[in-house]
Amino acid sequence: MADQAYSTVHHAAASGEHHDAHELPNFITLLHQSYPDNAVISFLNQYQTLFFSLFAAGLICFLCIRAARAESLVPQGLRNFMETIMEAIANFVTGILGEKHAPKHIPFLGTLFFYILVMNWGGLLPFWKSPTSAWSITFPLGLIVILYVQITGIREQGVWNYLKHLAGNPSTVVSFILLPMMLPLNIFLEVLAVPFSLSLRLFANISSEDRLLLKFAELNTLFTYKPFVFQLFANILVITFSVIQAFVFMLLTTVYLALILPHDEQHGHEEHSANAQHAH
Amino acid sequence: MEFFKANLIPAEIIVQLLAFMIVFFTLRKLAWKPILDSLEARRAKIRQEFESIEAAKREIEALKTEYAARLAKIEEEARSKVQEAVEEGRKISRDIQEKARAEAQAVFEKTQQNLDIEISKAQMVLKKSVVELSLQVAEKVLNEHLTDTKQQEKIEKIIAGIEEGATLS
Repeated sequence: MADQAYSTVHHAAASGEHHDAHELPNFITLLHQSYPDNAVISFLNQYQTLFFSLFAAGLICFLCIRAARAESLVPQGLRNFMETIMEAIANFVTGILGEKHAPKHIPFLGTLFFYILVMNWGGLLPFWKSPTSAWSITFPLGLIVILYVQITGIREQGVWNYLKHLAGNPSTVVSFILLPMMLPLNIFLEVLAVPFSLSLRLFANISSEDRLLLKFAELNTLFTYKPFVFQLFANILVITFSVIQAFVFMLLTTVYLALILPHDEQHGHEEHSANAQHAH
Repeated sequence: MEFFKANLIPAEIIVQLLAFMIVFFTLRKLAWKPILDSLEARRAKIRQEFESIEAAKREIEALKTEYAARLAKIEEEARSKVQEAVEEGRKISRDIQEKARAEAQAVFEKTQQNLDIEISKAQMVLKKSVVELSLQVAEKVLNEHLTDTKQQEKIEKIIAGIEEGATLS
């Protein structure tokens, strides 16, 4: 299979298609190249990122539900693996949001992490693709995050306090005078910019990783190194950065939530501010 | 604008939004909730078991102390009973010894008395025999019978004198 991918890259490079290619060819692209007139394959080729993202969604659902059903006092195999990751995520989120708020948001943040991670790793598989290398896939995730955060803010704080928060909690005369400037600024920074910053960061990183994989594969074709030495190095980098990108996405979402949630204690407030500063 | 048009495909965005929401609601209900609940239940169970182990340990410690105290008391009682038995034994031994000693003394004294009586009897018989023998000797010597009591007393005095002399010598 490695040799096949290898020759495919070589073929793509030889046929002059490498100028447009920004990632390794996947099986839909190859099928489309072989059967350009087939309507189903053409449709799949048109929405291939969607196909791979839906496959990732299905895979996560399958694995998580399978793990959830394998309940046992001494967990083993998949259940043990999933429990370890889920508990780590739960502990991490609880550390930031606190024990009062965390339980409600752990499923959202955890699902986001799993979904993004599995999509990120897609590019590592031969003839597969990372759906997160397309902005059309990451932008909706950013959109969902900001919707979730704002809805949580309104539900937890109430409409009046939420609006006050957006206005920067004005309490002095100067802050009231600056309100017409601060309100749009805060709306832009806290609401409008978030989906763009989140989705562009993820999209840019993962598409760069895919480019990296492609370039290292091309290096293999140039030097005719059969054992994929360069590819191995690139794969290790991609595995690591994919985890980091998924984690950063979840971390930033957690921090946005921490900022919008009501601060019950002074300690919590300090903790949230520190996290926010760290995130920015 | 070209970049947005090329990269943001409305159909993909809508499907992706729906897909994520379906995944989220499905996993929240079918995966996250059961797994996190079971983790919490396991945590509570482990905590409870640790607490019960601690309580059992405390109970065992208390029982151990109680048993040690009881054992010490039993040992003390046994020691005192052994002591009492030893004292009793010594007393019985002393009594037996005293009784045996008294009985031996009594037997000795009685024997002594019997011996004295027997000696006195023997002495009497011996005296009588000696007197008779002396009389027979004297009779033979004098060819007459000394039957008179006065003469017999004289001879007895002589014999007593001889005995006394023998005793002094």
